[in-house]
Amino acid sequence: MSATLAPYLDAVKSTLQAALCLEQFSSQVVERHDKPEVEVQTSKELLMTPVVVARNKLERVLIEPSVNSVRISLAIKQSDDIERILAHKFTRFMCQRADNFVILRRKPIEGYDISFLITNVHTSSMYKHKLVDFLIHFMQEIDKEISDMKLALNARARVSAEEFLKRFN
Amino acid sequence: MILLEQNNQIISEILEQKFSNVKEGGQPDKVNVNFCDFDGVYYLLSNPNGDKSKIRLSIALKFFKELQQHGADTLLQREYGSLLVTPEPQFNVTLEFDLNAIPNDYSEILRKASMLKRNCFASVFEKYFEFQEAGQEGQKRAVINYREDETMYIEAKPDRVTVIFSTLFKDPDDVIIGKVFLQEFREGRKASQTAPSVLYSLGEPPMELRDQPGARVGDNVGYITFILFPRHTNKKTRDNTIDLIHTFRDYLHYHIKCSKGYLHSRMRAKTSDFLKVLNRARPEVKMEKKTFSGRTFLAS
Repeated sequence: MSATLAPYLDAVKSTLQAALCLEQFSSQVVERHDKPEVEVQTSKELLMTPVVVARNKLERVLIEPSVNSVRISLAIKQSDDIERILAHKFTRFMCQRADNFVILRRKPIEGYDISFLITNVHTSSMYKHKLVDFLIHFMQEIDKEISDMKLALNARARVSAEEFLKRFN
Repeated sequence: MILLEQNNQIISEILEQKFSNVKEGGQPDKVNVNFCDFDGVYYLLSNPNGDKSKIRLSIALKFFKELQQHGADTLLQREYGSLLVTPEPQFNVTLEFDLNAIPNDYSEILRKASMLKRNCFASVFEKYFEFQEAGQEGQKRAVINYREDETMYIEAKPDRVTVIFSTLFKDPDDVIIGKVFLQEFREGRKASQTAPSVLYSLGEPPMELRDQPGARVGDNVGYITFILFPRHTNKKTRDNTIDLIHTFRDYLHYHIKCSKGYLHSRMRAKTSDFLKVLNRARPEVKMEKKTFSGRTFLAS
């Protein structure tokens, strides 16, 4: 783990732990409804101040807490064209499976690559610390996976080009 | 399978089966097979007028007229000789095999028949390799529209032959992955001293084609230039060079598609891995299981 990654993940972890204090909260607008306040944004007093934790210009996390839900958006490192298409493909692939990933939001927030929405229902049915662990694990792994895929692509390109050109004599 | 085959597997398999059947004394049966190959090539294997003792292999290439201008007919005549018959309607070349007159060792015929597409292509390369060998300069550049929107240009100079492919990437992601591959092709000369040098340009045609009308421009167009030196174009190595170079476009796209498939399977694996981690957050539900009679079921 590089020198800046550990403090970055620590900061995200503490912020998430603080943000994940959620309670059941009925809608103030519609009777007998219970909506994630961070999504509907009907009342200012139910939203907390959003926090951005940034490692650098490209990698950052936006955490938007509210009284009964938290929205977490990630921007994944994309330093060149290949990383961009890989990150895009990967996040799209996951969003299509959002039903299985209960906390995954179907569409990322603008300016970010992937978003999660955790409501009080999730925190009451799942261990809170394990949810935080999942998000941290996700952040660590996705960078690694993308750079591995990039290396695999380059290696394949090299092998195929060399094999083809070797045949000329 | 890293390299693609130059011959057509379907042709050799079907003919092999038919020929060996006749050689073992079996009755020839009916054939009617339609199939295709790279570059929009169609084949038809059939019996002429229902005569089961003869098999016809016909090939249709969209760009056969352009190949004819470069002497495809003479080359096919040289390779196939008496097997050639008048082409069937809608096809460009037809070979006819008389099952009663197959020699005992038919492997040579099989090989030649399955190389039909390659031999159609070969004429234009051979012609320009000859020009280079004779040191003739100023020959008109050959233009073969081997696919819709994709073109091949061949030009001979006294010391080299340049073959330029234009290729179209349908998917915007392919452009980026294609660039990685083309970069490696350019570097590939380091691995093998005998390889031709390869250049590429994306978006616009290379310098040689600046004056060429109809050279496509656009973000998804790539140009790949092969510079073949006399060591590749001399009589001994010529066939090998043609084998390789005429499949280059298919080879490149095949590997781009394969890498996308590989990346996809990796993503699938990683996603299910993430799902496993997320499911750890769910507390295990402890439920007492009861049998029908009301006794508690103990899982050991």
